[in-house]
Amino acid sequence: MLNIIDTVLITFYRLTGNPVPDYFIGTFMLALLSVILGEFTVSLVFRINKKHLDGLNNHLLETHNLSMEAWRAGDRKAYTDCNREANDAFGKVFFNMVGLSAASLWPVFFALAWMQSRFMSIKFPLPFTGWSVNYVVIFLACYILARMAFGRVKHRIPYFKGVSRLLQAYEKHT
Amino acid sequence: MKKKQWFEAVAALVLLVFLILLALGAAGAGAQPSETGKEVVGNVLNLPGKIGEAIKSAPLGEGKGQVNLTAPEGFLNIPGAPRINPVVAFLWAIWVGWIFTTVGAFGGIMAGVGHMTVFGLGDYTKAFKQSAPAFNKVMTDCLRMANQWLVGLSSFIGTITYLRMKTLAWPLGLVLGAGSLAGAVLIPWITGGKISFSQYQGWFGLVVFVIGGFLLYETTPRGQVRKKEAKAAAQAFKKSMKEKSEGESEGIKVTRWSSSRIEFSFYGVQFGFNPVMPFIGGLFIAALSSFLGIGGGFLYVPYLTSVVGLPMFVVAGTSAMAVFVSMLTSITSYISLAGAAVDWPLIGTELVGIFVGSLLGPRTQKYIPEVWLKRIFVILALYVGLGYFSKGFFGQSWVPM
Repeated sequence: MLNIIDTVLITFYRLTGNPVPDYFIGTFMLALLSVILGEFTVSLVFRINKKHLDGLNNHLLETHNLSMEAWRAGDRKAYTDCNREANDAFGKVFFNMVGLSAASLWPVFFALAWMQSRFMSIKFPLPFTGWSVNYVVIFLACYILARMAFGRVKHRIPYFKGVSRLLQAYEKHT
Repeated sequence: MKKKQWFEAVAALVLLVFLILLALGAAGAGAQPSETGKEVVGNVLNLPGKIGEAIKSAPLGEGKGQVNLTAPEGFLNIPGAPRINPVVAFLWAIWVGWIFTTVGAFGGIMAGVGHMTVFGLGDYTKAFKQSAPAFNKVMTDCLRMANQWLVGLSSFIGTITYLRMKTLAWPLGLVLGAGSLAGAVLIPWITGGKISFSQYQGWFGLVVFVIGGFLLYETTPRGQVRKKEAKAAAQAFKKSMKEKSEGESEGIKVTRWSSSRIEFSFYGVQFGFNPVMPFIGGLFIAALSSFLGIGGGFLYVPYLTSVVGLPMFVVAGTSAMAVFVSMLTSITSYISLAGAAVDWPLIGTELVGIFVGSLLGPRTQKYIPEVWLKRIFVILALYVGLGYFSKGFFGQSWVPM
């Protein structure tokens, strides 16, 4: 299985036959694959846990609005109590975010593990500085670019079109 | 009144016992014998970074605290190091993810328990305390950082979400971020490569014990009454506000900016704070998080809402950003200043497990009342805390582990 994955991934690094452009193209493709896989799994969490996340966010919003009203009304005791309630609600939302971020970012670490096994010794010198960067820096730069690129086109891709709408509605709601 | 006295007596007793134990530890109780005059690893392994440098001085052999070159490669490609079964790592991470979504902060602690005890990295690292202290300390940094990856990543998504929602208060973010940055650089710089695994384990255990104490307080009738009072007051206020229309909503607008006071309006309401307070809070929380290898999110929010007195929504987004800043700084510092290494496949596997666990959490949560869930974790926290504390500072665990 690992050999098959390795064979597939290394083909991205042999597209032009020139090692330097191939390294950057291959890494970008790997980063894009990580973004797509992450977006897919995060969409699963949203689809499965939407009701639960909605409930948490509604409670958070409600307690927050109440604390703001209390402050506006000059009731400091009610503000402190409502803020404490909102604090508890936020705790739950925050730790649910751990699951969401894990769903989105897990492919990054497998991609880095694969790059470590293949390109550990390759270093790119930074001109005029004497410093050099390794596969981690190049992958992360490509990952950010891939996220930006995918963000621009995902509303045109069949499955992600629906997910994108779902996320937009969710963000608007919260 | 009697209950209060009882509580205070127990607290005083626990503290006294703790101080006596520390004194015993300082007198050499539980100290381990040293091994000298052995053949060392040298340049054979050719491992990269500081871990490669540190392992050179480790003695060769098949015993504890020795490197067996013929053994299969384990953690970080070190021969003889624990080989972490991906299935065990995955299952443990499901448990961590489940805790994150049901209990909250305790998930980070459980991630640490996984790395130290379940995967056997703690005992392995500890065995090198006398035989190869430098290797013991670099491995400790690797463990501290492995915990931070898991917990701190949540802040990455959180920061993006709150940026989109425009609830990041930039003046607060700036001072909090500056404090966090200082704390997150300071700790790896001061302690990187200098903290032995035993010391780390001892402090980790102590903090888990204290958290267990807080959780215990929350489950006591006194803690429950306070919570119920706050809930009732919030409900009463909600009722009184029902008839009134909601005020106009608007984003954060800074109205005053000076070294002693920052004021801003949020939802049309005026708030203010002394910038020194979030700076100091950010510094200490980031320092503690970096030292223990935890995210720190569960400390920022109560500090900013309770001590600084800011509204929750402003605090939520800004603290997510502070955690992200401190996590990024701390991890970068551990890698660059302390030369800690990362086991990418292990972290990847754990993230998949956390993601599955966070799917299961909400579905199973309703079957266990929250107060019972907390009680279970109080027992766990006290057990793990006591075990790590005694193992770290006294060389052997007072509870089976």
